[in-house]
This record gives sequence, C-alpha cells and structure tokens, in this order.
Amino acid sequence: MLKIDQIYKTFNPGTITEKVALQGVSLDLKEGDFVTVIGGNGAGKSTMLNAVAGVFPVDQGHIMIGGADVTRLPEHKRAKYLGRVFQDPMTGTAATMNIEENMALAFRRGKPRGLRWGITASERDQYREHLKSLGLGLEDRMASKVGLLSGGQRQALTLLMATLQAPKLLLLDEHTAALDPKTAAKVLEITQKIVDEQHLTAMMVTHNMKDAIAIGNRLIMMNEGKIVVDVSGEEKSKLTRRDLMGLFEKAAGKELDGDRLLLS
Amino acid sequence: MELIKLVNALPGAVAQGLIWGLMAIGVYITFRILDVADLTVDGSLATGGAVAAMLITSGYSVWVALLAAFVVGLLAGLLTGCFHTLMGIPAILAGILTQLGLYSINLRIMGGKANTAISANKFYLLVSLRNVRSWAIQNPIFVLILFTAVVVLLLYWFFGTELGSSLRATGANQKMARAQGINTNHNILLGLMLSNGLVALSGALLAQYQGFADVNMGRGAIVIGLAAVIIGEVVFGKLFRNFAMKLVAVTIGAIVYYLVIQVVLWLGLDANDLKLLTALVVGIFLGVPYWKNQILSRTKGSKGGPRNAEN
Amino acid sequence: MKKTLALVLCLMMVALCGLASATTVGVIQLVQHPALDAATQGFIDALKEEIPDVEVDSQNASGDSATCAQIANTFVSNDVDLILGNATPALQAAVAATADIPILGTSITDYASALSIDGIGQGTATGINVSGTTDLAPLDGQADIITELFPEAKTVGLLYCSAEPNSVYQIETIRGFLEAKGLETKDFAFADSNDVASVTQSAVGAVDVLYIPTDNTAASVTETIAGVVIPGNLPVIAGEEGIAQGCGVATLTISYYDLGVATGKQAAKILKGEVNVSELAIEAAPNFTKKYNAANAEALGITIPDGYEVIE
Repeated sequence: MLKIDQIYKTFNPGTITEKVALQGVSLDLKEGDFVTVIGGNGAGKSTMLNAVAGVFPVDQGHIMIGGADVTRLPEHKRAKYLGRVFQDPMTGTAATMNIEENMALAFRRGKPRGLRWGITASERDQYREHLKSLGLGLEDRMASKVGLLSGGQRQALTLLMATLQAPKLLLLDEHTAALDPKTAAKVLEITQKIVDEQHLTAMMVTHNMKDAIAIGNRLIMMNEGKIVVDVSGEEKSKLTRRDLMGLFEKAAGKELDGDRLLLS
Repeated sequence: MELIKLVNALPGAVAQGLIWGLMAIGVYITFRILDVADLTVDGSLATGGAVAAMLITSGYSVWVALLAAFVVGLLAGLLTGCFHTLMGIPAILAGILTQLGLYSINLRIMGGKANTAISANKFYLLVSLRNVRSWAIQNPIFVLILFTAVVVLLLYWFFGTELGSSLRATGANQKMARAQGINTNHNILLGLMLSNGLVALSGALLAQYQGFADVNMGRGAIVIGLAAVIIGEVVFGKLFRNFAMKLVAVTIGAIVYYLVIQVVLWLGLDANDLKLLTALVVGIFLGVPYWKNQILSRTKGSKGGPRNAEN
Repeated sequence: MKKTLALVLCLMMVALCGLASATTVGVIQLVQHPALDAATQGFIDALKEEIPDVEVDSQNASGDSATCAQIANTFVSNDVDLILGNATPALQAAVAATADIPILGTSITDYASALSIDGIGQGTATGINVSGTTDLAPLDGQADIITELFPEAKTVGLLYCSAEPNSVYQIETIRGFLEAKGLETKDFAFADSNDVASVTQSAVGAVDVLYIPTDNTAASVTETIAGVVIPGNLPVIAGEEGIAQGCGVATLTISYYDLGVATGKQAAKILKGEVNVSELAIEAAPNFTKKYNAANAEALGITIPDGYEVIE
C-alpha cells in the first residue's frame, strides 16, 4: 500500500543549521499493515511521516501510495490518499469552526469543492452516528466550536475526520504524546477500534515502547535517519522491551538513547 | 456647537459609513476570515474610484462602472496574492508592494491626472451626497442599505458553500486545511481577490458619493476598515453569532466610526488630529484581546496548570 | 428611558433656539498649508468687512478627501448660505453635496477639469451654483521673466510632478508661450517626491534654465531641488513664491491672501443678492508681483534688473 524507496532529506543544506534528517529510508507496507515507529529524538520518525504526507519535497527517492507515485505531488493533493493525526491537538482541526463544519471539510477530502452548500442534512445524521460511536458525548455538541473541546476530544475528532473518507494510509504522528495517560489510553483505544473496523493501513509514530510493542503487526525503529530495526508477524508479537533494546544495540552499534523512550 | 447641527449632519455620516462598511467587509474577509493583514486596500479603494470615475465620465452606466471597479479590484487582489503565494513574499509586504504600484496605475487610469470630477449635474449617479436628506428612493442611505444587504447575503451564501468553507478553514488552520486536501494557496488568492473586489466597489461608490475620484482617496483606508471591524466586534460581538450578522456588525461599526468623526468635527476638534485619534482607538482595541489573555493566563497559572480535565 | 428622551428633546429645543438667523458661511479647506491658510484668512477678512455679522465656520479636512465630503455634508445639512471650497477636492465635495447653495472656489488652478465643464476659466461664469477665483499666475508673464533674466537661454527645462493635473496644465500652457519666443523646451517629470533629486540632476547641464510651475510636490521638496541646482549652476524660475524662496531665482507671484480677499468680495456680493453665483465670472488674482531670491541670485551670479522685489 505504501512503498518508500530510498528517500533522502537534508534541511537547510549548506548553512550552519544544516540537518541530515533522512538517509536512504526504504519501507514497504502491505494493505492492512499497522506499523508502529519508534526511535530516539531526532531519529527521523516524524520527518519520514511528513515526507510521506508531502509537507516538504524529498531530495532523492520515490514515494508510492496504493500504486500511485506521489513523490512530486504537493501536500494538498496527497491528502486524498491520507488520513493524518498530529501530535499537537490544535493542528488537526479548525478551532474557530464548529464540529460538524470540521467533519464536513474532512468528508470532502480528495473531492472537488464547488459552490454546493458546505454541509447537507443527511451528512449531519451520519456525523452524529460517528460521533456517538466515540462515546464522548460530542454528538450533542455538533454546533460547538472545536476550540472549546479538550485536547483528547480534539484528537478523537481528528481521528474520526481522518477516517471519514477511508484513507489508503493513516498517518499518526505521536498523536497521544500531548495527552495525559488516561486520555492517551482512551484515544489509543479509539484508534485501534477504527483501524480494525475499517481495515486500514496505518503508520503510528510513538515514543511509548509499550504501545509500540502492543499495537500493530509490525514495528520499525529508526536511528539517525535510517530504519535500523524491522520486526513483524510472529516475531513482533513475542517481542519484549529487553529484546527491542538488544536489537537496537546490535543494529546501531550503541546503546539506545533517549531517556524519554526508556522510561515510558 | 448646537446639537441640531449635529443631528442634521447625521444622515450624511450614515451614508458615508455604509459605503465604508462595504470596504470594511472586504477587510473583514482578509483580516478575520483569512487571517492575513492586507494593505492592498489603500490602493484598490482608489483604483475602484478611478475606474468608476473614468467610465461614468465616458458615458457608461453606473452599473457597468461598478462591475468594472469590482473586476479591477479582483485583479489587484490577485496581484497581491501572487506576490504572496508564488513569490513567497510576506503578506503585509506583498500588500504594500501592490499598493505602491497601484498609485502609478491609478494615475494611468485617470489619464495622468490625480483627480477626476464626476459631476452629479451631468451624470446619473447611484449615490450622491446631494440626495442624502431627500425622502426619495434615490436617497443614498436606502440604496446603500439595499446594496449592503445583497452583498451580505451573497457572502453568507458563499462562505457556506464547500469552497467558502474551505476558505474559512484556510484562515483558521492552514496545516489542517492542507491535510484535508484544500489548496491553501488558491484560497488565499481567492480571499484576497474577493476582499479587494469589495474594496474597489466601495471606492466606486465613494467616488460617486463625494463627486470625484482622487489618487489619495484610499490613504489610511486600512485603518478605517480595521476600526469598523473592531468597533463591530466590540459592540456586537456578544450579540451577533451568525456569520451574516457579523458582517452586519462590521457595517454598523463603519457607521459608528463616521458618527464619531461627525461628533468630533462638531465638537470643533482639529481634523488634523483625527488620524492620530483613529490610530490610537484601533491600537487599543486590537490590544484588548491580548491583555485579556495575559491576565487570564496569569490567574489560570495560579490555579495550577492548563485546563484539560474535560476528558 | 422616557427621561432620556425628554432630556434629548429639551436639548434639541435649546439647540433650536440657539440657532441665530445670521448669515452663515462654511469654509472647507483641504489641508493646512501656508498658501491655503492665507487664502482662507483673506476670504474671512474681506467678508467680515463687507458683512460684519456673518458667521464663518471654517473646517480643515487634513488632506483627507473623504473628510471633505463629510464637512460638505455638515454645511449643507445645516443650510449654510454659502460654501467656500479651498483647493480642488474641497470644491468638488461641496459641488457633490449641493446644487442649490452658492459655492465659491479658491486656490483652484483649472476650473474646467475640477468641475468637468469644458471651456470655463478666468472671466467666464460656470452656469451652475459655482464661481470663485483661480490661483493661476499669468504664464505668459512668467515666460517673459525667463527671457528678461536670461536673454541668452536656448533651452528651458520644465520640472513638475506628473501626478498633479494643475502642473500638467500649466506646463502645457507655458510651453506654448516659450516656443512662441523661439525657445526649446524639455520635460523633467517626476512621479513623487522620492524621484525629485535624480530627475532634477538629469536637468543639470541639459538645459539653460529650469522652470517649476505651481506644484504642490515640488513646493514640499525645494531644499532637495536647491541641493542639486545651486551646485549645478542651474537657475530656476518658479511659478510661485514658496518655490522661488526655496530653490529659485525669481518668480511672478500672486498673493494667496489677496486671492482670498477677492473671493471674499465675491461672496459678499452673492450674499447681499447683488449677483447670482451662476452668472458671476471666475476671477484671477488682482495683482502680480515680480520677486527674486537675493541669496540664490548672488550664488549663481545673476544680475536682477529693476522692478523686482526681494523675497523676504
């Protein structure tokens, strides 16, 4: 479903802030794969996700989604293949617009937007059902501005919006990192549920090793802009944290860095 | 200083406020909906006036003149939009560049003259200062209320459509908009065009109303537009929630602005100080939300941490 | 609520009673500027002398054309007996506001384009509720000064702001007079004050004399022009005194105060009912004076003949 072929990215080349972010990343995701991505700070996890989303063009390599080469497509054109949830709960929704308007925007992802009315009555009923399934009581607040929602509510709504039109690939960029543990668990549960129900292909960046092991059928670990560990299937389901650290040390030739990663 | 003098002058202030209200709605589109401060308006207001003046004095009907002014305004917005989205120039600077360029263009439009008269004696004008106290259908106040109502309804419809919603999303959160497949650059172009089209339309009406177009007629227009937007929000922010009513609030804001100016003139204040007064008032009202936030966050901090207990 | 209403009504009654039946005149002045101030002052002085109990309400639009319209509206709504529009946009705003109340203009150079009525000017009446005075100095007289002071000159440069219709009009007129005298003319036009220095520089060496008409932009940057022409040894003849004082050698000038006085006398005639405004001819300034700038004349080594006054 997703094929990343030898992508490279260097930010601010030739300046003192030059940063080599991706050094030949390749990845092949099959339909229905749910891959978790972990790695230390600056390992290139989010950069890889953003490269797929088209936030910036890559220096080299190719990105294919569902068989289509999207390497040269701008961000808004790739959106028709992708559902995205961001780390910052503020990023995924328009705060000054209300819940149903946000959903109506998401419902039209990948479709031409013309002079038809922006939201129809039948859609509204559909949205209400979707919101009900979240179990957060948002179905009664459809005319409220999204800016009034809590971080967890916004992330749950963003998830719903990302999957309203089934995406070829769901990109989750540390989408529970800014939430308190209880809320994070709830959002993760909703994530799992939606992915299962819709049989989505998903890629989730996380800093939580436990989540990375528990969720999905495949796990990759990144270091210095490269994928250094890639386990899947049977092997992944038996994986422990100790195994993971061992794998990393073998691949990277050093101890796993980042206290953040170890503690969680 | 007799009060009756002030009362007599009010209809004129209302008419002028209605004309500037259209301009302020244009400013609202960029400043509030698109979240871009567009300084093109100082130029495009005069462009609208210049185009209308030249067409009317060449014998075209006022409707042709208004339409042409609107279209030329769209082009002015397009130019700023191209500077901003294609060349990566910050929006404020892009607007200043267009505004500066428009000065020369406006002179060209008026055949090298800084000032073109549109005599109400010779031409049929949609609005004229002359009829502001008559109880007839050609009273500019009636005409302008009708005009504003049509514009507000059209905008209400447009911003409710799929395209209009995507434009609002662009202003609210560009990252989110792009993630939903919205071409934010196109929308910024569209918003700037729409805004400057309205501003030019307002300029075309203003030129008819005051009987001439002048290259300097747009000087400081952005501040008047902002003042109208802010007065509208401060006075009616709590009252008007509906989008159409918010636009009406902007129009009323412009009327209030001109009523205040009328009172200031009536009080005998030196008109030279008007601009300073306007700048101060707008500055303070722009600052109020910031101060509010500062104070709120301080009191919140003492209660311990940001609030995200809802879920 | 009722109390407030009653209060407002009372206030309005008081206001109504306060309205005197005296003749009132409204003055709209475009912007604060020495020449315009002098014209307004001359107008008021002459008017008060003729009609001592006249009430004059003088308002300044501070350069904002929209404010001109607002002031005009105020005057018309209060039914003043006459309006003076001092400078073109002020006159135009008054004309837009009323077709009935008599309007006089002053400090207007070209009435035909200000009112968009072809063929009107000094000595003609407009046929509508407008008359006034023009500040157009006799351009043939200015051309005479050029040949009187510089008999050897062959080419005359014309320096002006292309955005000012008054200037363009003056340049076209004086070009005719100069060419009739067998002189060659060369245009040096600038778009705004930022271009003045470089445009002026290009005139140095290219022409024998530089002429600057009554031009508001040039008037505001005479120091800049002086900084180029004095070292460049290029004498300037100016259309008005202010420019001559800043960077010129000589001028044939009108007094804006006198122009205002002439306008004030016109106003008195109209208010006394001696003449209908639509039949009153537009007047030019009553007298002109040849003046010279002593310091600049000396710096450039120019001998000034008799008949010129020193600019104070």
